[in-house]
Parts: sequence; C-alpha cells; structure tokens
Amino acid sequence: MEVLREKVEEEEAAEREEAAERAEWAEKMERMTKTAEVSKEETIMTQDELRDLEKRLTSIEISIPAEYSFINKSLIDVTKLPPSYSTNSPKEEHLLQVADNFSRQYSHLCPDRVPLFLCPLNECNVPKFVSTTLRPTLMPYPELYNWDSCSQFVSDFLTMVPLLDPLKPVIKEEEKAMPKKYTVKPPRDLTSKFEQEQENKRLQEIKNQEEKRLREAEERLLAEEKAKPDPLHGLRVHCWVLVLAGKREVPESFFIDPLTAHSYSTKDDHFLGIESLWNHKNYWINMQDCWNCCKELVFDLGDPVRWEYMLLGTDKPHLSLTEEDEDVLDDDDDIDNLGKEEEDKSFDMPPSWVAQIEITPDEFETRCPNGKKVIRYKRAQLEKWAPYLNNNGLVCRLTVYEDLQCTKVLEIKEWYQNREDTLELKHINKITGLHVDYFRPGHPQALRVHSYKSMLPEMDRVMEFYEKIRVDGLIKREETPLTMTEYYQGRSDFLSYRHINFGPRVKKLTQNSAESNPRPMVKITERFLRNPAKPADEDVAERVFLIVEERIQLRYHCRDDYITSSKREFLRRTEVDSKGNKIIMTPDMCISFEVEPMEHTKKLLYQYETMIHLKNEEKLSRHQAWESELEVLEILKLREEEDDAHMLTISIYDTKRNEKSKEYREAMERVLHEEHMRQVESQLDYLAPFLAQLPPGEKLTRWQAVRLKDECLSDFKQRLIDKANLIQARFEKETQELQKKQQWYQENQVTLSPEDEDLYLSYCSQAMFRIRILEQRLNRHKELAPLKYLALEEKLYKDPRLVDFVKVFV
Amino acid sequence: MSRPFDSMDPKVMDDDMLKVAVVEQGPQEEAGQLAKQEGILFKDVRSLQLDFRNILRIDNLWQFENLQKLQLNNNIIERIEGLENLIHLVWLDLSFNNIEAIEGLDTLVNLEDLSLSNNRIAKIDSLDALVKLQVLSLGNNQIGNIMNIIYLRQFSCLRTLTLSENPIAEAEEYKEFIYAYLPDLVYLDFRRIDEQAREASKLKHQYSIDEMKHREALMRARLEDEKAQRQMLEEHKLAFIERLNGPFLFNSMYSEDVEGNKLSSLPGVDELLETYKDKFVIICLNIFEYGLKQQEKRMAELDTFNECIQDAIRENQEQGKLKVTKFEEKHLLNLNAIREESDLPNIEKKLIECSDDITDLFNVLMTLEMQLVEQLEETINIFERNITDMVGLFIENVQSLMAQCRDLENHHHEKILEIAINTLEKILKNEMDEDLPDDVRALFVDKDTIVNAVGASHDIHLLKIDNREDELVTGINSWCAHLLDKIHREEIVRNRKRVKEINQYIDHMQSELDNLECGDIIDI
Repeated sequence: MEVLREKVEEEEAAEREEAAERAEWAEKMERMTKTAEVSKEETIMTQDELRDLEKRLTSIEISIPAEYSFINKSLIDVTKLPPSYSTNSPKEEHLLQVADNFSRQYSHLCPDRVPLFLCPLNECNVPKFVSTTLRPTLMPYPELYNWDSCSQFVSDFLTMVPLLDPLKPVIKEEEKAMPKKYTVKPPRDLTSKFEQEQENKRLQEIKNQEEKRLREAEERLLAEEKAKPDPLHGLRVHCWVLVLAGKREVPESFFIDPLTAHSYSTKDDHFLGIESLWNHKNYWINMQDCWNCCKELVFDLGDPVRWEYMLLGTDKPHLSLTEEDEDVLDDDDDIDNLGKEEEDKSFDMPPSWVAQIEITPDEFETRCPNGKKVIRYKRAQLEKWAPYLNNNGLVCRLTVYEDLQCTKVLEIKEWYQNREDTLELKHINKITGLHVDYFRPGHPQALRVHSYKSMLPEMDRVMEFYEKIRVDGLIKREETPLTMTEYYQGRSDFLSYRHINFGPRVKKLTQNSAESNPRPMVKITERFLRNPAKPADEDVAERVFLIVEERIQLRYHCRDDYITSSKREFLRRTEVDSKGNKIIMTPDMCISFEVEPMEHTKKLLYQYETMIHLKNEEKLSRHQAWESELEVLEILKLREEEDDAHMLTISIYDTKRNEKSKEYREAMERVLHEEHMRQVESQLDYLAPFLAQLPPGEKLTRWQAVRLKDECLSDFKQRLIDKANLIQARFEKETQELQKKQQWYQENQVTLSPEDEDLYLSYCSQAMFRIRILEQRLNRHKELAPLKYLALEEKLYKDPRLVDFVKVFV
Repeated sequence: MSRPFDSMDPKVMDDDMLKVAVVEQGPQEEAGQLAKQEGILFKDVRSLQLDFRNILRIDNLWQFENLQKLQLNNNIIERIEGLENLIHLVWLDLSFNNIEAIEGLDTLVNLEDLSLSNNRIAKIDSLDALVKLQVLSLGNNQIGNIMNIIYLRQFSCLRTLTLSENPIAEAEEYKEFIYAYLPDLVYLDFRRIDEQAREASKLKHQYSIDEMKHREALMRARLEDEKAQRQMLEEHKLAFIERLNGPFLFNSMYSEDVEGNKLSSLPGVDELLETYKDKFVIICLNIFEYGLKQQEKRMAELDTFNECIQDAIRENQEQGKLKVTKFEEKHLLNLNAIREESDLPNIEKKLIECSDDITDLFNVLMTLEMQLVEQLEETINIFERNITDMVGLFIENVQSLMAQCRDLENHHHEKILEIAINTLEKILKNEMDEDLPDDVRALFVDKDTIVNAVGASHDIHLLKIDNREDELVTGINSWCAHLLDKIHREEIVRNRKRVKEINQYIDHMQSELDNLECGDIIDI
C-alpha cells in the first residue's frame, strides 16, 4: 500500500509555485502541473485562516529540478531575479544539510518508501528546501480572502500538463522519465458506481429493470471506451492543499485540489494516502498507515508518533493544532518567536527566499496566463477568456462532444460579458441545429430568450421577452412557418393569447416584394382572461376570426356555478335578398347558445351591434398580427446588426477602458503632478549648487563643510548687495529721467499745447510714484537684508548635512 | 318667463310622444332600420331628450328602467314627479321650468349631475339620497338664505356648484362663505376656485367652521356608537341571549310587580333583594356567556359545512367542465369532418357517431351530478344531526340554568314570606318599631292578604323567567329549522339548475347536429 501511495512531491510543489507565481512563470508551471488525483503528499495548510491560506497559496515558489529544464529559460530572465534565487544563504545551506541528513535517516529507516520531496531545484538550478518556497502574503483582493474563490483563482492560473513519467516526480536523482499518456479518470469511480447499481438493482422493482438494462449497456459501452482499468492506480503522486480545522470557523479539515479548486473531505476515496506535509515552517512525514485511504488519518501534527517532523523548530512535539494556527497566523509573532527560539532550539526555518508576489489588477482580471485557459474534460472542453480579451465579449465556451476523442461536437455553450446587446449566453445544439440566445435585461427590444434554427423570417423560432419592459405585455412569441402564437400578461384588455394561422402565400403578378405581400391570415384565435368587472355571460373568453370563411366564433367565460359556457357564432357574409336589397342582419347570421337565455341578446339590433364591433376588432387584430410580423423582421435585422457589430460596454468605473474616465483621471493626475512640482520648487535646496561642486557620494569633511557654509553665506551676501545695487541703479535712472523731463518742460513751456502739458503732468506724477516706491523698496531691503543673512546662517548651522561639522566652530 | 312657447298649449307626455322621441333619438342608418323593424323597448333606452315640448307634467316614464340620462329642460314643468322608477339615472336636466321645490328625487341614488337652474326654487333640500352628486346647477332661482350652503356639506363628491343669479349671490360674503364651508368644491359659478382665495376665506371663517366640524364629529361619533351598539345587540340576538349580560331580566321581573315593590320596603328585604339580585345576575351572565360560546361553535360548524360543500361542488364542476371541453374539442373536429365529407353513407355514419357522443356526454354529466347529489345529501344529513344535537344540548343547559333561577326565586319567595308573616305578627302585636308607608301597611291586614300579595309577586317573577326561557328555546329551534330548510332548498335549487343546464346544453348540441343534417341533405 505504501508503495502505491507514494509520491510525486515535486509536482505538488510545482503547482503551488505556479499558483504563487504570475504570468512570467506560467510556462514552468505548466510543466509541473500534474495529473490524476491519486495523491500522497500534503502541504499543511494550517487552518482555514483564509489569510493563511491565501498567503500560502500565493506565496509558493517553484523549485525546478535542474536536469529537467522544463523552464523555458528564454522566457525567464534569471539574471533579473533577486540574488536569493541564485544563492543559498549560510542558513539555507545549513537547512539543506539538515534536510539531507533527515532524508538519509528516513531512507535508512523506511527503505520501502519513496524518497522524500525535500530540496527541489528552483528556476536558477539552485536546490531550495520546500518550506522556504512558501511565503505567506496578504493580497489586496477580497476574492482571495476566502479559500474557495482563492483556490478558484489559483486553479484558473494553473494549466495541467501531464508528466513525462506519471510515476516519477521530477527529482534530481530520477531524471529520466518515459513520456507516457494516460487518461484522467480512475476506474475506481466506475467500479463503485457499478456496485451501487448492483445494490440498487436488488432493491428496485421490476419496472425499473429496463432502465437498468439500458444503463448497464451504457456502462458496458463506457467500459469499452475506457479500455482496461488504470494500470497506474495508486502509483501516481500528487500535490494538494490541506486546510486544517480550527481557525476561521473551519469545522473540520479538508483538501483542496489546486487544479480544479474543488474541495474534498479528508475521507474522499480519491486520496489514497499522504506521504508528507509541509508548510512554510516545517516538514512532516506521515507515519500512519494509509490502508484505508486517508479516512483514518489523524491530523494532529503535534503528535510525533503519527507525524515525524523534520525541524524541532517552532513546533513543539506536543503542539496542538490551534497553537500551530496561531503561529501561522501572525508573521510578526513568528519572527519574534523565531528570534527567541533560535537561542534555545537547535535550528529554525530560514525566511523564504522567494520574492513577494505582486498581482496587478490587470493580471488579476486576466486570471489565466495570457487571459486564456482551456480545460479538457471527458467529452467536453471548457475555454475561458478574460473579459474584454475577445472583442465580441466571449468569456467562456463549453463544448460537449459525443465521443472521447472529441471530434463530434454535440453542443456548444458560449458565455458573453459586457455586450452592448446584453447577450449573455449562446447555446448551440449541433444535433438539432437549434440556437438559443439568452439576454440580460436591457436589450432594446426587451428580448430575453431567442431560440431559432435559422435567422430567416417565417421559420421556427421562439422569442421570449421581459414582459414588464414591454408596453404590450408580450411574454413569448412562437413561430412556425405557418403559425404565430403570442402570449401576453398584465394587459388592461385581458388578452392573454393570440394564435394566427397563415395560409400559403398567394403569388402576385405584380412585382411587389415580400413585405408588401404578406402571407394571408386564415384564422386568428384570441383568448382573454376573466375580467371581473363584467358578468361572465358578457365576458368573452375566446374569439376566433375565421377570416377565409367569414365567420367569427365567440366563447364566453363560464359562470361561477356552471359547467358550460355561452357561445355565439356570427356569419358575416353580406347577402342580398330577392329584391336586391342588402340584408343587414337576419337571425340565422348569429347562432347563439346561452347558458341562461337573456332577452336583450335575442334582438337583431344587439347582434348587429356586436357584429359591427367584432368586425372592427377583427381589423384591429389583423393589424396587430401584421405589426407582430414586422416586429419580428425588425428584431431579426437588429440581431444581425448587433452580432456584426458586437459592441462592448464599458463601465464608467472602469477607468482603464472607459475613455472619458481615462481622460478625466489623467487630467486629475496632471493637476496633481503640477501641484507637486510647485511644492518641490518651493523647497529648493540652497545647498544644492555648492554640494554639486563636491565629488559625489563622498562624505563631507569638516573642512569642506565649513567652506560650504562660508561659500553659501558669502554668495547670499553678494546677492543681497547685488539686489540693493539694482534697486539703487533703477532709482537713480528714474530720478535722472525726471529731471531731464522737468528741464525740457521749463524750456518749452510756452510753446506747449494743453495736451502735451497734460501728458507731461501725468508723466511726472507717475515717475514720482515709481521713485517713491523704489525708495521704499531700497529702505526695506536695507532693513531686511541683515535679518535674512542671519536667518540663512542659522539655517546652515542647523542643516543636517553640516550640523556635525559646523557646531564645533560655533 | 318670457319664453316664446309659453303661449302654446301645454302638452301631455303620452306614449306617442315618447315613442317618437325614442325612435328619433335611437340608432340610425342600418341599425336604425333594424330597430324600426323590431321596435325599441322603453326599458332598453339609455338616454332620452324631451326639451322644448311644453310639457307640464312628467308622466309615463316608469318603463324607462335603465334610463341614464334624461333631459326635460325648457318645458313648463311645475313639480318634480314620476321619476321614482328611474333609479339608474345619472344625468338629469330640469332647467328652465317652473319648479318651486326640490322633491321626488329620493330614489335616484346614482344621480351625479343635476341641473335645476332657471326655476323658482327657494330652498335647497330633499337631496339627501343623492350621495354621488357631483354637479349641481341652481343658477337663477330664488334661494335667499345663505344657510342653504351648509346643507350641501354632506355631499362629499360635489365638485361643481352654480348658484349665480340667486338672492344669496348678491350677498357680500357669498363666495367667501362657499369657499369656506365647501372645501372640496372645485368650480363655483363656472369658474375654478382660486386656492388663495379659498385659504383666505377658510382663515376668516376658521372659528365657526371648527365649531361646526366639532359638532359634526360628535354627531358622527354618536351615530357610530349607536350603530355599534345595535350591531352588538343583533349579534346577541343571533345567539338568543340578548340582554342577559346584566340585570335586565331581573329588573323586568320587578317592573310590573306592584306587590313586590311594596314589600321591598319591609325591614330586611332590601339586603335580601340585594343578594338575590347578585346571584340572579350571575346566573344570567352564565347563560349569556354560554350562549355566545355556543353561537360561536354553531357558526364554526356551519362554516366548515359550507366550505366542504363548496369544495365538493367546485371539484365536481371542474370535472364537468373538463368533460365538456374534451367533448367540444372532439365534436368540433367531427363536425368539420362531416362538412368536408361528400359521401352520404359516411356522413350518416359520422352523424350517428356524433349523436352517440352527445348522448355519452349527457350520461357522463348526469352521472357526475347524481354522484354529487348523493354526496351532498349524506353530508347534509350529517350536518343536520350535528347541529340538532348542538341545539339540543344548548337548550338543555340553558334550561338547567333557568331552573337555578327559579330555585333562587323560590328561595327568595320563602324568605319574603317569612319576613312578611313576621312583620304581620309584629304589626298585630303592635311591636312594629318602624313606620311603614300606608299602602304597604294596607297589605298587612290579615294573613291571607299578605300571603296572596307575596304569592302574586312570586308568580309574576316565575312567569317572566318562563317567558324568557320560552323565547330562547323557540328562537333557537326556529333558527335551526330555518337553517336546515334553507340548506335543503338550496341544494334542490342547485340540482335543478345543473340538470337544466345539462339538458339545455345537450339539446343545443343535438339541434345543432340536426340542423347540420338538414343543411347537408338540402345541399345534396
């Protein structure tokens, strides 16, 4: 048994890692992903702490065996990876030695068991201990907070690629593997089903026997298809996730299969046994017997008899699950504990060498590598795409095949998102050729479901509508080549059903197109719900217009305490009597059956009025039927246009794709940036020009610092003086000009025109103003300059770069 | 009244005039020809216009039962009369006549629009029955008292009112008063009422309106109270224990009992009477409560019974409907087939088939009905037994309670007798301390007199108790008998109706088939 159960740890690791890594490493991961569900090893996912789980899942790093250069090196630039990827720290070296020692002892003590999966090679071909490939990380996406959506995310990212040798994990020592293909489903499934059926057979009545025989035949067929039972049963190795009970209200431990994101009970038959477990802290070997799958395993990792730990580390032998959980919970505590325990314990797990995983919102939305993922099932294939990846909005397609080789397509289901025409799901049955389109609310024609075999008009089709959106309350319209049936709801005239029979189209000699030559209507049947405001005898339940026969049949609603209902039939043929006068109405034109004979309905006048009314109604009904036909044409045209255009809508909150929002956001960013620039300017570094003269990167010497300070001060002094001089110069220039002007005025005063004089006077007053201002500025500058100088000096003394050196001199 | 036709002779509203008017105003063209051919019954007429005809007296309208609109304007009518039968009338125009008083409208409960303008009316009244009145035109009349407006407050649907050219319209306050007192009015004298003006008027008359509202509210409350009490009494009567929830019966025993009242002034009788009354009332209350409970039980029983019966009938009906529908589907196909068939023997064969189908349907429906009749009969019998038992038990228990009353009375009688005789002895011995009224003292002449007096009082009391008991027993027995009778009768009516319906339907089907036969034979 044990032998059977053994193994492939690497695969598991690989999966983990893949989960952790994002797009760049996608390739490698694919390799590692593995196969059937026969399983062995476990990484411990302590508890449910989703945070934990999530951290773990996201944090796993891949280690790749060197010999198997699965990783497409060209895609991973090893040189860009942090140094921790390509080297081992002393502590890690130590750990590897410990692991090696552990592994030797293990193989010595348990020679029957498969070698441990301890130190796979990473992408840089450096051996790393598996636990150090795990790095708990908290991601900013709420979807990753709970195990189910988180594992779904991971499984979306993983792609399954069969191992070359399903029996051998890619480990250094066992490099060569024979390429071998195998089918996915274990036969175990089959047998058990069969047994169940045997059981059922005994219990079931004879009447079920036929059914049973049918199923048996199917079983046989399946069995044939499947060929022989899986020869690898129990030999395959798999990695999966164990979530231990305790934290975050997880009532009991369970497994998660990383490839499918399904959770399984620990008692599930698919899991044949566990070889070893690890988390980011420690590594445990299962010492329990797995004769009955995992059903009787006890997941108390603190029990050294059942679980042989590798490191004494943080996990004390008597450690209970909850304690373990707490440890896992808090990284800070962990680190503290680590520090403490290092002193008294022999060895502790070194921190993870893996870089922290970063998932951008883009990548998160893309989910799968390149935004596309194909999952193959027995007789079915599921393809997934990221939203907006396909320009027709396709996000998912399920293809169901008839045979195992997936050559004959049975049906296709396509899911769409963000389509402008609100198309949500397209279901195509390849056998019957039936297409069914489903729409979300919001289609311009209120369409909900459209099923058809052909987009040509007047063919078999069913359209269902969101009746609350439609003014006429139409729920459904069914068409065949010669009929159209409409179902209504919630109408004020209580119409609930209208059925139209068409006759064959009459060929017209004129060159009219199909639209002006509609199919002739033979019969219109309309049904009405009970109108409580009318007595039953006057409330029509059904009326039939036999258009060709010129007859109208009415059936009234049944009275509460009766079993028969009144009927009336009108012959609307217009006839002429012997004298050539038109017969308006004769008693035989209306045949009535009345449950309770009434007097006024016997009157010809009443019958005549009813008939006139019905004739008008008939015209109306024909018109409405004709409009329905037009509407069908219109919808078909619209659908074709929509299918051709397949426009996608973009939410206004989607600032990445929505152009307007994008512009707005960019404008906002620009404003922010400018604001920032202004702030930076205001905080100009007064020492920068002087520091720039010094050789970069070197520390200041005291001498340099003092010189720096002096230079800065003298420079500032010079600038103050320059400024004073500038003001002085302007002042003098202005004064001189004024004097000149005054002189000129005195000389030419006699000849000046009044305008010139005005000009001169205004110039004088302005010049005087300027002079006064300049005078004030100069005075003020003189006053302030020493203060400014002192302020700078003070600042320099306090400058962090200079303070050490300058202080001494002060 | 300077009308041009005043000079003409008054005309009589006779049958001829009405017939001419009906035909003139009836359907036209093709429908008119039909109408002429068949004649129009007065009771089918919905609207009639009889204006400018110099009519003096409204007459001969009793046949127009379904008339909804009647125009009698511009005549010389002096009294509103002869409209009692026109209960569906919605629209009545009597303007430009010589009417002096509003009358004769008490049956026209559906009237919504009433025009009485240009008459000689002085007082608005006699309109109480017109609860749906929306439009009232009283322009150009003699209405002089503004208090007439208050009368109009009771018409909650009234929206349009015309009172112009009346003496009251001259009054300064006229509009304000109407705005204030008729707050739901929308149009007055052909104008929409301005909201601001209405608010202002309301403020002005706030005080008196509030007072009036208060009075009206009190009145309404009192009416409702009375109604509730009447209802309660009705309920008690249904349980046959009315007025047993108090000392009513006890008081009634003494109300006609002269001697008893006289004796009550004897020393010690007061207390005796007090305890007697208390005990008596307690028994009455017991009867009352027991009666209510029993009534509830009986009603529950009846409800259950009715529900079950209805369910059974409905289910049977559904089955019948289903059979009929199925038959009709098949029958229709058969008829179509016959119409298209050209071979005579084939036609005959199919006709016979159809005929058989009809017979089958008849049998099936009748069987269903017979089943139902049997089921119902059995159920009704069970119910009859149960309800009779319940009534019997009720009577028995009430009688035993009544017997307790009698025992009390007998006991009381003995005590009284004792006291009376003691008193007599005292009086005879002249040991009587207290003074007795003269009429009481008159009883204490000798032993016979006093014993007779006490005995008479006792007899009256027993009689009252007996009467009440009889009343109750008779009441409940007759209720029970009526109920059962009604149930049996209803079942019979139902059965007859269904049988008639089935026969009618089958006859129709058969005759349709026969017609087809004839038609075909003729065709051929």
